[in-house]
Amino acid sequence: MRHDRLRALLTAGGIVAAAAMIGAAAMLVFALATGFDRSAVRADLPDVSARFAEQPLSLVASRVRALANVRKTAYRFEANGIGVQANSDSASGGVVEGVLPGERGYAIVDGRDVARRGEVVVERGLVHSWHLQLGDVVTLSGGGGTLDEKLVGVAVAPDSVAYPLQRTPRLYTWIDDARRLVGAGPDVDVALIWVNDRSQLDVTLAQARAASYGVSGLRFVTREGFHQLIGRAAGIVIALLVAFSLVALAAAGVMLAASAAAEVQRRGEAIGILRALGATPAQIANGYALETAALTAPAAALGIFAGLLAVVGPTRRLLNVLNELMPGTGDTFLLLAGCWAASVVLVASATWFPAWRAARRPTVQALRGSDVVLTPRRVPLPGLAGFGARLALARPFRATALIAVLSASAAVVLLILTIATVLHGLEHDARTLGTQYQLTVPAGETSIARVRAIRGVADAAPRYETNAADSFELGESFQLIAFPGDLARYEAPPLASGRRVRSSGEGDVGLGLAQALDLHVGGALAAQLPSGREVRFRVVGIVEALRNQGLLAYVQPKRLLAAMPDLTADIAVKLGPGADLDRVRDVLLSRGVYSQRTGGIAQDYGVSGTFGRTSFLRVLAALLRSVAFLDGLVCLYALAQMLALIARERRRAVAVVRAIGASRAQILAVFAGSALLVAAIAAPAGIALERFVLGPEVARLAVSYVTLPLRSGLEPVTTVLAGLAVAVVTSAGLATRAATAEPIVVALREE
Amino acid sequence: MGSPLVRARGLVKAYGEGRAAVRVLDGADLDVDRGELVAIVGRSGSGKSTLLHLLGGLDRVDAGTIELAGAPLHELDERGLTTVRRRDVGFVFQAFHLLPELSGLENVLLPAQLARDGLEAAPRARELLRRLGLTDVASRLPSTLSGGEQQRLAIARALVNDPALVLADEPTGNLDEESGIAVLELLRLAADTGRAVVLVTHDRAATALADRVLRLRAGRLLQ
Repeated sequence: MRHDRLRALLTAGGIVAAAAMIGAAAMLVFALATGFDRSAVRADLPDVSARFAEQPLSLVASRVRALANVRKTAYRFEANGIGVQANSDSASGGVVEGVLPGERGYAIVDGRDVARRGEVVVERGLVHSWHLQLGDVVTLSGGGGTLDEKLVGVAVAPDSVAYPLQRTPRLYTWIDDARRLVGAGPDVDVALIWVNDRSQLDVTLAQARAASYGVSGLRFVTREGFHQLIGRAAGIVIALLVAFSLVALAAAGVMLAASAAAEVQRRGEAIGILRALGATPAQIANGYALETAALTAPAAALGIFAGLLAVVGPTRRLLNVLNELMPGTGDTFLLLAGCWAASVVLVASATWFPAWRAARRPTVQALRGSDVVLTPRRVPLPGLAGFGARLALARPFRATALIAVLSASAAVVLLILTIATVLHGLEHDARTLGTQYQLTVPAGETSIARVRAIRGVADAAPRYETNAADSFELGESFQLIAFPGDLARYEAPPLASGRRVRSSGEGDVGLGLAQALDLHVGGALAAQLPSGREVRFRVVGIVEALRNQGLLAYVQPKRLLAAMPDLTADIAVKLGPGADLDRVRDVLLSRGVYSQRTGGIAQDYGVSGTFGRTSFLRVLAALLRSVAFLDGLVCLYALAQMLALIARERRRAVAVVRAIGASRAQILAVFAGSALLVAAIAAPAGIALERFVLGPEVARLAVSYVTLPLRSGLEPVTTVLAGLAVAVVTSAGLATRAATAEPIVVALREE
Repeated sequence: MGSPLVRARGLVKAYGEGRAAVRVLDGADLDVDRGELVAIVGRSGSGKSTLLHLLGGLDRVDAGTIELAGAPLHELDERGLTTVRRRDVGFVFQAFHLLPELSGLENVLLPAQLARDGLEAAPRARELLRRLGLTDVASRLPSTLSGGEQQRLAIARALVNDPALVLADEPTGNLDEESGIAVLELLRLAADTGRAVVLVTHDRAATALADRVLRLRAGRLLQ
């Protein structure tokens, strides 16, 4: 009895562990996959957000009212570059959204909305970051004056990531206060539009463009656009977290089912006795299924709750970062109840079917004992490890399921590590952006000769850069970057089509710009410069530039300088092979010139507009590595579970091997052989899955304007193989410890 | 005459705790010489298998001493017992306990592999199989063999490392009469070639072949 109670406790412990994984994974998948939609609904995010140069409300409202399909509207005045200070914290460059009575487009998650002047609602990220409380005074300072506002509410709007990942904090005040901060008149510069029929949104936007005569600087962002922007910032992370969670779910499900089946296997003899006493297979299977369900129900509930507790904190933090909301209590309860029911049904079914199958065997065969007696595969594997491999192969379905779980896990881990490496490269390695020079010196062309004369410097050239807008649509802004001569010697993002620039009338455009303006090789790029002049280039190539989302063009400086004579250059400095970068910088500094390393995004541009901050890349990389670590634990869990099942099913066989003289190390070799077989098949399968399916697919989904190098290289492959080796040894060690802790005679006695 | 291969004195082994404790061995003494086949009989639950497990280093005594070829089993740690089992003891079980994943030859060679003697033992194993009439079934899996063939394979496995002591627990219990006699003759042969053989049995044919028959009663061995 005591022995049975202990076994039941062990079984329940396994169910708790597997159910915890199910609860954690399901919560993560649900919370992240539905985060944007849930938050958008709660915030009543507008279908279209239109920004434009300041206009009288009456003018804008009359134009919007004239559009068909508009359900409701709201207007704001957005004050940018506002200093924000509260308690002892401060930030510059804040965005203050001045609101009018009516619709909002954000959700109040604490306190209340702005109702009058002198009140402010603050975005949740800032409140958490600065530990603000309702009633605190927030001081806002702009070019038009300083205001002390009382914090009355906390808001969330999923149209951007949260402070401090987005470095500009966002606050909502009464519209008059926002205007006063920048000394603006009674105008608005933002219109929020909700439509009746979202499928007709394109038509509405076309009408709006047509009706925007006289409204300058007009830009639309749709609700789907916000979703994509958030997706660019965190889509990969969410996709990987979801993939990881699905892998964990599959692993837990397979292991729960296999564990239940093994329990039935152990009771083979009892099933034979019941059959001999006249019980039908259905009666036996029902009995065992009910018994298992009774054990599983409380254990699964406990496990799922534990899993929820484990992930609810990190999930909330991640959603906070994304400006999204946690699922409601009701939804969470329904989800977890579903997981609980599925776990119980899964275990009961996994018990019922093998019990039914065992009960249908000839009774005499069932009476012979509980050890697994399958027709084993004749696999010519030598030694004790070979014997272990055959033990694994004796259960081909389980081995296959485990191989699938491990290879999927290995592929996800590889992908995660590769993405983390790419993110690191984006942040720090200029070559990832196609940059071929190492230093930038803020000095004019006249200094080039002196810079070239420094030992270690291979070459130097002036680099011109300016913002421009597309002359045809006057909406799409981009960067123009110019080098004299062969500019690919200095910046050479991969060519997607066409060729490099050879003359001053030619341009290579980024894929992002080509997509936005529907540009092709042979077409014309018309750039409106800040000077008001227009300059045109013939598109000769399209490059996969990651910088500025590919919204750029590379040209030679002649035409650019003709249109902008006062445009100044920096000097791009290329070092020779083996040159000491720090020494060159020191020499430059000794001559009174401060130089900058050409890093990646950390030192350069945002990878994805307003969200592309280096700190965010670091957070993403750290998060991805954490997920990779968790996924590694899933591998270890899956392997350890398989070996535990083998040890349990084959305890008498292991006891026999021990009886005839096997040492602990030799038992370890047996279990390691089982694990090694599975890992040896899963590893190449996982690598192939990542290199040929996941990597290219995620690269395609992540950013359309470049080809990210997401095929795993030697380093992540080595890391994953080493991780698998550690998992093999660790799981084999655990199984050996459990198997050899039991006296040999106890296992031999179990007939 | 030299000292016996097996020398057990005052063996005590109990199962259960407190008032429910049962002493299945209660001061049992046993000497077994090389070349001797000793049969142990007794009622079910009298402790016969327990005695065999203690002699083979599979279990530990609560009290008493066991020496096997001069090695004090009662003092050895698990590693020492493992070495003794591998080097000095061969087990034959009632249910054969062949590993179903391994062929007949692989099963026989397993103890030699554990002793890292696999290559040298291979000719020995083949010779054993030939002598036991198992050459034709050496490459087959146990599940395809008859009970008699399986038990002969188990005996070959027990002998492959040339142990000094062979312990057989009801070796004929699952066999028909003809197969049982063949197995007993093999054990007799093992004893005649210098090994000590201790077998636990209910089989009259086995006792007839034994040099000595001991009865286990009330935890002690009686002539």
